[in-house]
Amino acid sequence: MPKKASPVDSMPVGRFARQTRWGLIALTGAVLVFLYLPIAFLILFSFETAATPGLPITGLTLHWYQVLFADGSIQKAVGTSVLVALIVTVIATIVGTMVAFPLVRGGLPKPGVLRLGFTMPIMIPGVLLGIGLLIFFRQVLKVPLGLQTVVAGHLVFTIPFVVLIVSARLQGFDRRLEWAAADLGADTRRTLRYIVLPLIAPAILAGALMCVTLSIDEFVITFFTIGPQQTLPLYIYTQIKFGVTPEVNALATLMLAVTMTLLLLGTGLMALRGRVTARRRRNAEQL
Amino acid sequence: MDELTRQLRRREFLKLAGAVGATAGLGAFLAACGASTASTAASAVASAAPSAAPSMAPTAAASAAASVAASVAPTPGPTGTFNWLTWSDHWYQAELDNIKAAINISANVTSFSDNIDAYTKIQQVGGQVDMVSGDALWVPHYYESQLIDPFDINSLQVASQLYSVARAFSIWTTPAGYLGYPNGWSPVQITYDPAHVTAGADSWQLLLDPKYKKRVIVEDQPVEIMAYMGKAAGVKDPYNMTADEIAQAKALLVQLKPNILRLAPQNTDTIAALKNGEAWIATINLGADISVKNQGGPELTTFTPKEGTIGWMDSEMIVHGGGNTNLLMPFLEAHEQAENVAANFMINKRPLFNEKAYKLLINQGQQELADHMLYNKPETVNTMTLKGPGSSTQAVIAAFNDVFGA
Amino acid sequence: MTGEVRDGAGAAPLAGSSNGFLKRAGRAVPALPGLAVLLFLFVVPMLIMFLFSFWKTNGDFKVVQEWNIGNYLRFFTEGTYLRTFVKTLVMGTIVTIAALGISLPFAYFLVRYTGQRTQRIVLLAVIVPFWTSYLLRVYAWQAILGEHGALNQFFMGIGLIDKPSMFFVYDDPGVFVVLTYVYFPFAVLALYSALEKFDFTQLTAAQDLGARPDQAFRYILLPQIRAGVITACIFVFIPILGEFLTPTLVGGAQSSLIANLIVNYLRQAQFPEGAALAIIIAGFVTLVMIVFRKSFRVEDVVTRA
Repeated sequence: MPKKASPVDSMPVGRFARQTRWGLIALTGAVLVFLYLPIAFLILFSFETAATPGLPITGLTLHWYQVLFADGSIQKAVGTSVLVALIVTVIATIVGTMVAFPLVRGGLPKPGVLRLGFTMPIMIPGVLLGIGLLIFFRQVLKVPLGLQTVVAGHLVFTIPFVVLIVSARLQGFDRRLEWAAADLGADTRRTLRYIVLPLIAPAILAGALMCVTLSIDEFVITFFTIGPQQTLPLYIYTQIKFGVTPEVNALATLMLAVTMTLLLLGTGLMALRGRVTARRRRNAEQL
Repeated sequence: MDELTRQLRRREFLKLAGAVGATAGLGAFLAACGASTASTAASAVASAAPSAAPSMAPTAAASAAASVAASVAPTPGPTGTFNWLTWSDHWYQAELDNIKAAINISANVTSFSDNIDAYTKIQQVGGQVDMVSGDALWVPHYYESQLIDPFDINSLQVASQLYSVARAFSIWTTPAGYLGYPNGWSPVQITYDPAHVTAGADSWQLLLDPKYKKRVIVEDQPVEIMAYMGKAAGVKDPYNMTADEIAQAKALLVQLKPNILRLAPQNTDTIAALKNGEAWIATINLGADISVKNQGGPELTTFTPKEGTIGWMDSEMIVHGGGNTNLLMPFLEAHEQAENVAANFMINKRPLFNEKAYKLLINQGQQELADHMLYNKPETVNTMTLKGPGSSTQAVIAAFNDVFGA
Repeated sequence: MTGEVRDGAGAAPLAGSSNGFLKRAGRAVPALPGLAVLLFLFVVPMLIMFLFSFWKTNGDFKVVQEWNIGNYLRFFTEGTYLRTFVKTLVMGTIVTIAALGISLPFAYFLVRYTGQRTQRIVLLAVIVPFWTSYLLRVYAWQAILGEHGALNQFFMGIGLIDKPSMFFVYDDPGVFVVLTYVYFPFAVLALYSALEKFDFTQLTAAQDLGARPDQAFRYILLPQIRAGVITACIFVFIPILGEFLTPTLVGGAQSSLIANLIVNYLRQAQFPEGAALAIIIAGFVTLVMIVFRKSFRVEDVVTRA
């Protein structure tokens, strides 16, 4: 099957197109270096012998990894953080996307005010929000603190991000696609499922990624809303009297390795699936 | 429709793969946690012994853990898990694992950094936490707020191992009992690098000397900084200052500001700056200078300023209304044994209130180190102005903000 | 053209018929969970803090219900808060410009020159490092920017300078670099989702009609991704107003931003005092968003008609 010509290929090029393109490639490369340079150091410090992560490197050791594997409490903290982040992401992405639709398409009164309302949790310093939630949970609702209150607290500041990203995407959405689908007989649900959602999927993905990022490293609000549990950021930030040892670097390195492996596997499997589907279709066409 | 179906399938698949992968990864991780906690005792002892890093527990910890398991006779008592809100230097993993193995009481530890955080938490959640750690004058504050229960410290056998002065602090004594089980203490001292700083300094004024621009590092604790500026100005009670006293302290703070390299958020930042030579002078707790030297930094001189200093001493308090209070006494009996305390000292290098542990340290050949840390001089706490909730906190912060704002 | 309004466009099929209260109420149903979260988990706690801001903390760390506006007046009468706030606005602005300046070409390159799979991989590559602890990443930056850090050693090694530069060390430039680093992925995600939907054949059409590439960029692309650009600005600028960790970790004694001053109160349980200051900041931003509300229009072009 001939490769579909992308519209970009057929564009007339300006005079500096090649330079622009190489300039952009260089910029992208520089950005990725900028992003990963501290990560490289972070990983490096997990192997150093000094008890304080930092330069100069006096020697290399695997000692901190040994400490990490023996340290049950930090492992539990990581598990809790990941669990909370996953739950928060799933809920926030779904709830936030659901809000975006009526917000943009006129189902809600005063959408400008509501959007401002959804932006406000981002404006408030986390400490204030955390204390407000603590007082609300304990004095007003009188519920014990635990992971459920942590999830609730995280939802407050993650949902706005999803709402803002998805509504920005929906704002310029080409309605004619939906009208065409309706003309062809699709009802609202089918149109949503097969036209709208796939097209705004990148925005939803972006929102979900933001939720994970925000939740997994959240310290301030977590501190005020958590019960007798521990998350990783809590563990790290509360060692103020003695500071972090490279054990935490070792943990961060491992988490990075695990996440990247999972993601590579996921995209690899996806590519495989795409190729299998394509081959099946080719076989079907040949029959 | 083809393109869309493929996109949809791909997206669904990505989601599924992600969910499966995440669950599998998480499951594997949690399984590893479960497996490793069971074998932690063995592996911790094994890893503690041949460790090469300077500040990790040496063989003492391994033998301490083992001997505690032996000395605490496994009598049939209450078992279970309790919740402990504490600082990270009050415990170490091998010890907790061994206590769990010996008497089947495990501590679910959560940490905090400042007294005020723990106080706010306990105020709100009360009995969800069973035991909480706190400093000096915060302890009676907890009691006045009816958040903790006093207890008879002499009913604990292990309390006889404490220095007698630690069992009789007036601020922790009430008719109903003692308010907290003493843990450790430290004054705030000044340390400097004699290679760059003229020797013989003995006063807070050293911090203010314009020769040392951007060479002083202090910890980011506004109330404490203002407190020792108050001390430098000759104030008797820097946690309850009058408006005049605050003004004096603030004037000194204005002199201090250009000398400050940074307001360090963590103790390790202070140590790193001293080690690197970025900072020549620092305000520190006991033990930081040893850490600097152990990490290959310069040899520092430490002194207590002549105007007097602030300091802390901390303890474990029993939270009122906790659900697992019956586990606390047996836990303390095991946790506060001299062997554990001595091992804790070797890890954290802070003086602690257990006298028997001092003798153990001498036997281990650590007398010089212990004496350097003033371990055998617990009465020093009486010379310090103790940390606590002060009535001038708000005004102090206003002054601090005025100096450190833009 | 995208966004062209048709007659009767208000009756877009997906929205259902526009009349009938029940029908209209039905359209709002999907938003209910989100609105519930906003109401109960944000508005109510903030109302509590708003009430607090009119009370006082006494010397015993208890909040007493003495009604007063002293906590608000403090912001205006003690000069440090206004000065620090202005400094924070300036820092926020330059970080936003820098973050957008980098992320716009970055996202543009991703969307225009790479396939969807590469885009996803690169996006994940951008985001995944931010799932590690913020504290560790900032410490790593210190190792790069510090007096004995990698950057200084590099420049000394190639002979550009002969003693370490203190430019980034515990000072505002260091705070600027790290803030840009921390908020850059948020800008990328916002811009990516806006650029991704853009139909690049429009640029072809524009050039067919004689426009230069930069004109096409300015008059065709930018207006259509405006919503995304504004979202990116919101994601970067607004959290910076609440940023206190980066100045503490990377800044020096003179790098405090407004949130540092607020947090100094809140961390000592002076809740009414801290709350009032935080509410003033939030109020300011709200004011700005109201004044410029036309730029922040959130509704569809179709709905607007």
